Amino acid sequence: MIGSNAAEAHPVALQHILYAKEVNGAPLIVVDPRFTKLAAKATEYVRIRPGTDTAFLMGLINYIIENDWHDKEFIRTRVAGFEEMRKVAAHYTPEVVEDITGVPKEQLARVAKLLATHRPGTVIWCMGITQHHIGSSNTRACCILQLVLGNMGVSGGGTNIFRGHDNVQGATDVCVLSHSLPAYYGLKEGSWKHWCKVWGVAFEWIKSRFHSKEYMHKKGFTLARWYEGVIQEDKINQYTPIRAVVFWGCASNSQSQYHKLKKALDKLDLVVIIDPFPTTTAAMCEKDNVYLLPSTSQYETEGSVTSSSRQAQWRYKVVDPLYESKTDYEIMEEFVKRFGFADKFYKNIKKVPEDVTREIARGALTIGLCGWLPERIKKHTDNWHTFDIDTLQAKGGPCDGEYYGLPWPCWTETHPGTPILYDISKPVAKGGLPFRARFGTEFTYPDGRKENLLAAPGVANPGSEVRGGYPEFPGWKTDINVIKKAIKRGMAPFGNARARCYCWNFPDPVPVHREPLHSPRPELIQKYPTYPDKPDHYRVYTRFASEQKPELAREFPLVLITGRMVEHMGGGAETRSNKYLAELAPEMYAEINVKVANDYGIRDGEYFWIESPEGGRIKVKAKVTDRVDERTIFLPFHFGGYFMGKSLAANYPEGHVPYALGEPANIVTNYGYDIITQIQATKEGLCRIKKA
Amino acid sequence: MARMKFLCDMERCIACHGCVVACKEGHQLPVGINRRRVIIINEGKPGEKSISIACMHCSDAPCIAVCPIGALYQREDGIVLVNKEVCIGCGYCFMACPFGAPQFPRGNAFGARGAMDKCTFCAGGPAPTFSEKERRLYGQNRIAEGKVPLCAGMCSTKALLAGDGAVIADIFRERVARRGSGQAWGWAKAYKE
Amino acid sequence: MVKKILTLLMLVLLPAKTIGAEILRPYGPVSPVETLRKLNHLLLGNWPDEGREFISFIVAFKNYYFYVLIGVLGVLFLHYLIFGPRRFEHRGERIFYYGLFTRLVHWGAALSMTLLVFSGLATLFAKILGGGSLVMSLRSLHVGAAFAFAPFAILLFLALVKDMVPAFYDLKWFLVMGGYLSRQPRPVPAGKFNAGQKMWFWLGTAGGLVMFYTGYKLYQFTAPVSFLREMLKIHLYLGLAVLALYFIHLYMSLVAIKGALKSMLSGYKDSEEVALMHPKYYEKVSKD
Repeated sequence: MIGSNAAEAHPVALQHILYAKEVNGAPLIVVDPRFTKLAAKATEYVRIRPGTDTAFLMGLINYIIENDWHDKEFIRTRVAGFEEMRKVAAHYTPEVVEDITGVPKEQLARVAKLLATHRPGTVIWCMGITQHHIGSSNTRACCILQLVLGNMGVSGGGTNIFRGHDNVQGATDVCVLSHSLPAYYGLKEGSWKHWCKVWGVAFEWIKSRFHSKEYMHKKGFTLARWYEGVIQEDKINQYTPIRAVVFWGCASNSQSQYHKLKKALDKLDLVVIIDPFPTTTAAMCEKDNVYLLPSTSQYETEGSVTSSSRQAQWRYKVVDPLYESKTDYEIMEEFVKRFGFADKFYKNIKKVPEDVTREIARGALTIGLCGWLPERIKKHTDNWHTFDIDTLQAKGGPCDGEYYGLPWPCWTETHPGTPILYDISKPVAKGGLPFRARFGTEFTYPDGRKENLLAAPGVANPGSEVRGGYPEFPGWKTDINVIKKAIKRGMAPFGNARARCYCWNFPDPVPVHREPLHSPRPELIQKYPTYPDKPDHYRVYTRFASEQKPELAREFPLVLITGRMVEHMGGGAETRSNKYLAELAPEMYAEINVKVANDYGIRDGEYFWIESPEGGRIKVKAKVTDRVDERTIFLPFHFGGYFMGKSLAANYPEGHVPYALGEPANIVTNYGYDIITQIQATKEGLCRIKKA
Repeated sequence: MARMKFLCDMERCIACHGCVVACKEGHQLPVGINRRRVIIINEGKPGEKSISIACMHCSDAPCIAVCPIGALYQREDGIVLVNKEVCIGCGYCFMACPFGAPQFPRGNAFGARGAMDKCTFCAGGPAPTFSEKERRLYGQNRIAEGKVPLCAGMCSTKALLAGDGAVIADIFRERVARRGSGQAWGWAKAYKE
Repeated sequence: MVKKILTLLMLVLLPAKTIGAEILRPYGPVSPVETLRKLNHLLLGNWPDEGREFISFIVAFKNYYFYVLIGVLGVLFLHYLIFGPRRFEHRGERIFYYGLFTRLVHWGAALSMTLLVFSGLATLFAKILGGGSLVMSLRSLHVGAAFAFAPFAILLFLALVKDMVPAFYDLKWFLVMGGYLSRQPRPVPAGKFNAGQKMWFWLGTAGGLVMFYTGYKLYQFTAPVSFLREMLKIHLYLGLAVLALYFIHLYMSLVAIKGALKSMLSGYKDSEEVALMHPKYYEKVSKD
C-alpha cells in the first residue's frame, strides 16, 4: 500500500487487508512518509521522502527485472513497450533510489523480494500517490509494477485505488469534470453528437448554448485552479473571468492555496452553496454574495451509487427530507425550470431517479453501463445475501450467476458484470476481458523498433472467435448492437491488445522521477528537473520549470504533507458538526517530530505558525510525535472556521457553528499541479515554522 | 447458559474510534461520558498498538463487591448492570474497577455526581425491557433484540468481539493459530476461568 | 514409530512455521509481552496492588460504621441508665464563659456539622433508605453543608485554640474518665476545657478541615484513582471518629449535664459547675 492511510481513511476496507495478512499470510508493505496507523499494522514499513514514489517504484521494477523475477510469459503475450520501459528503469539502481527516496537499498531489495515471492499481490494507493506534480507518472509506475509482476487480470491482483467515499467512482464515471462528457467520451464533436442523440436534443441547440464552438471542445477549469479564473494571478485563456460559482456538496477547504481561493470568493458576484451544512466556504465569504441552499443528506433521497470496485448499489430513502431542505433532484429541477429548458432536460426523464439511471445506461457504452438498469440494480441490492462474499457471484436466487452490483463493464442487459478487469480466463459474456485496444495496432518507437500492439497469438478469452489479439470493433462506442454482436462472438467490443508500458501521448512516455516543484533537495533539481511551463493547462497558465527554484529550500526548510484523520471526513462540515466526533478530535493540530520541536523550542500542545512560500500562514497546535520524520510536518486537512489566526465563527448562520473549528491546512499547501490532470500537489510542499 | 464477554484483538484494532462513536450515538450519551474508550500505546512508533476497552463484565466483579447499596448486579449471562434508580453516585465502583469503566455525569445540585453510567453490553437495565424508561436511563437493549452490542457490530476490522465467551474465544484462538501471534488484553484479568 | 513420524513432521513443520512467523512478525522490535506489560501499566495503574486492597477495605469497612454507631449509642444509653443526668444547683454566682463570637461560631459549626453527620450517615446507610434520588439529594446536602461548615471550623479554631492547647493534667482527666463514671461529683483535673472537649475540638476543627479537603477531592473526582482511594480511606476513618465524638458531645450537652445547653446560649456557667468540672480555670478566675 503506497500513499494510502487506509486505517484512517478507509477503516472498513482494512478488514479485508488484515484478513489477507492473517489468513493468506500476505505480507503488508506500507510505503508512506509518515508512520501512519496503517504502518503500525505493516509487516514492512518503508519511510519515503514525499514526492519520490516514482523513483521508488521504478527502483522496484528495475530490481525485479535485474533478478529475473518478472513474469516473462505475461509480458511476452500481453505487454507492450517493455524494452523501452526497461531501459528507463535501469537508471533506478538501488543506490540511486536510496539517494532520491531515502529508502535503504537493503529495504528496497527486501520489498522487491517480498513482491516477487508473494503472487498475486495487489497495489493500493490513494492521494499520497496522485497529489503530486508527477501524480500521473506515479499512478502509471504502480500499474507497470503490476504488469511486470504479472499481477493483472487475476483474483487478488490488480491495482486498487480507494476512493474518498461511496460514490466518488460514480461521480467520475459520469464525469463531473471539466474535460470530458459522461463515461469518458471526451469533448470531440462525435462525443457531443453521441450524447445529444441519447439526450434527444439537437446538436445545434447545445452548440447555441456555448459562447463559441471552440469552447465546446476546450477543457474547462479544474477544481484545483478555478479561482485563477477569478483572481487571474496566472494568465487565463478564456474570453471572460469567472463571475459566479456553485459549490454543490463540495468542500472548498480541500483545495490548495486556500488563501487565494478566499480572494476569489470575495471577488465573485455570486457564490451558491448547496449542502446540508453551512460549509467552511460559507464562513469564508466575507462579501455579501452568498446563497445557501439546504440540501438533504443521502438518507433523505435515493438513487444508484458506484463503489471503487465499479459495483452499483441502489440506495433507498430512509426518511423524508427534514425541515426546508430539498433533495438534489428537486434543486436541479427548480434550476432547470427557471433557466427555461425543462422540456429538453427532462425529455427522457419522467420518473426521477430511475429514468436518470436508464439514460446513463443508454449513453455510457464506453464503460459498459448498458446493463445497469434501475430494476437490475435494485434486485441486486435487495438480494445481496444470495451473493458469495469471496467470488461476489450469486448462487441461485433471482440473480443467479451474476456478480454483485454488476461491476462495469456490464455490456448488455443480461451480462453478469465484470468482477475482475482484464481477466482472460473467463469468456467475455461471463465477465472476462482482455486489455483494450485503444491505441491502434502497431507502433514505431523512437529508436525504430516496431511492435504489434495486439495481444500475442493464442491469448484470448475462452470462446473467442479470434484466438489472439484483435482490434476494436468499429462503432462500438456509439452503437449497442455492435457490442452485442461482439459479445455473441465471444469477443470484447474494445478489442484484445497489450497493456502499454510506454505511453507516447504522455509528457513522460515512461514514468521518470522529477523533483517536486518545491524540493527540499535543491541539488537534485538539476538532475531531475520538472516539466517546462504549460501555458494553457485547463485554461490557465501553469508554472512548472519557472516555479522550481533551488534557493527556496533555504528559506523554507521543512516538508509539508497533508492527510486525513479517522474522526473527520473531507472538508469536515458534517463531522465537525457532530458532537461525538468533535469531542474525539476537537482541534486542528500539526504533527512535528520531536527533534524539530526541540530545535524550534516548541512544546507539545503549544501554538505555532506555519508559513508557506505563497504567503499563507496558519496558527496550529503542535503534536510532537515520531509519526513524521525530522524534516516533515503533517497537517490534517479537515478543519475550517479560522483564517490565518482569526476565528470566522461569527460568519456562520446563527446556531450552525460547528463544534470543532480550526485552521484549514490548505492555506499553507503549496503551488504545484499535475502535468496531465492538474490535481494539486498537496503532498510535497515546503514550509517554515515560527513560535507563536 | 452462555457467558457474555468482550474480547479486543490487538492485532486487528486500528484505533478508528468507531466503537466509541457507535456507542455514544446509539445510546445518545451526553458528551463526556465514555462507556467505551480506545487506548493507543507507542503512538507513532514501531510497535504501536491499540485496544478498545469498556466494562469487561467481570466474573466476581469488584464493583459489585464494593457497592454500598447493591445497585450493581450480575445477570445470569454474566452481564453486569447498574440500577440507576438506586445508585447514589458514591463512586466506590470507580475506585474499585481495574478498567475505569464506571462514568459519572454531573448535573445535580452543587454539581455532585449523578448515578453511575457504564457499558450495559447493550442489554438495557433493570427497567422493563424496551420501555421508554429503559431507553432513557440505559440506552438500547440490543441483547433482548437478539443483536450483538453496537460497538462490536460496528467494528470495522472485527477486532472487537462480543458474545458468548466460548464462541468468541474459539474465533480468537483460530485467528491466533493462523497468524501465529495474538494478544487480547484484559481477558485474564476480567474472567478468571 | 509414532514418535518418529512426529519428530519428522516437526522437522518439516517447524522451519516452515518459523518462516511464516518471520513474515507475519508484527512490525518492530517490541515483543508482545512488553506491549502487554505497558498496557497493563497504562490502564490498570497500580490496581493489582491497591485495587484489591481497596476492595477488601471497603467490604470490611461497610460494617464499622454500624458497629460504632450502635456501640456509642448503647454505651451512652447505659451511662444514662446507671448514672443519670448531672444537675447543678443554680444558686451561686455565674461565670461568663463563652463570648458572643464564640457562641455564634459554635452554633454555625454545630448546625452544619449536624447536617454533615446525618447526611453522611444517610449516604452510608443508603441501603436502608433505598438509595436513589432521596439519598442523592442528601449527598448533595452533604456537599453543601461541607462548604458551610468549613469557614465556621476555621473561625471556631481561631476563637478557641488558645484554651485548647493540651496540658499534662489532661492525661489524668482521661485516667478518671472525666469523673463521669461516678454518681458523686468530684473535682476533675481540667482547665477552661477538659481533655474530652479538647479532643473533640481538635477533631472537629482540624480534623474537620481534613475531612473537607478529602471530601472536596472526592467531590471533584478528577484526581488519579489511587489518590482518590487514599482520600476515601482518610475520609472514612476520620468520619468514624467524628461520628463517635459527635454523639458523645450531643449526649453531654443535651442530656448528661443539665444546663450545658443553656450556658452555650447565654454564655454564663454556674460557678459550682465550673469549680467541679474545670477547677484549674476556676482557680484562675477566682484569683482575678
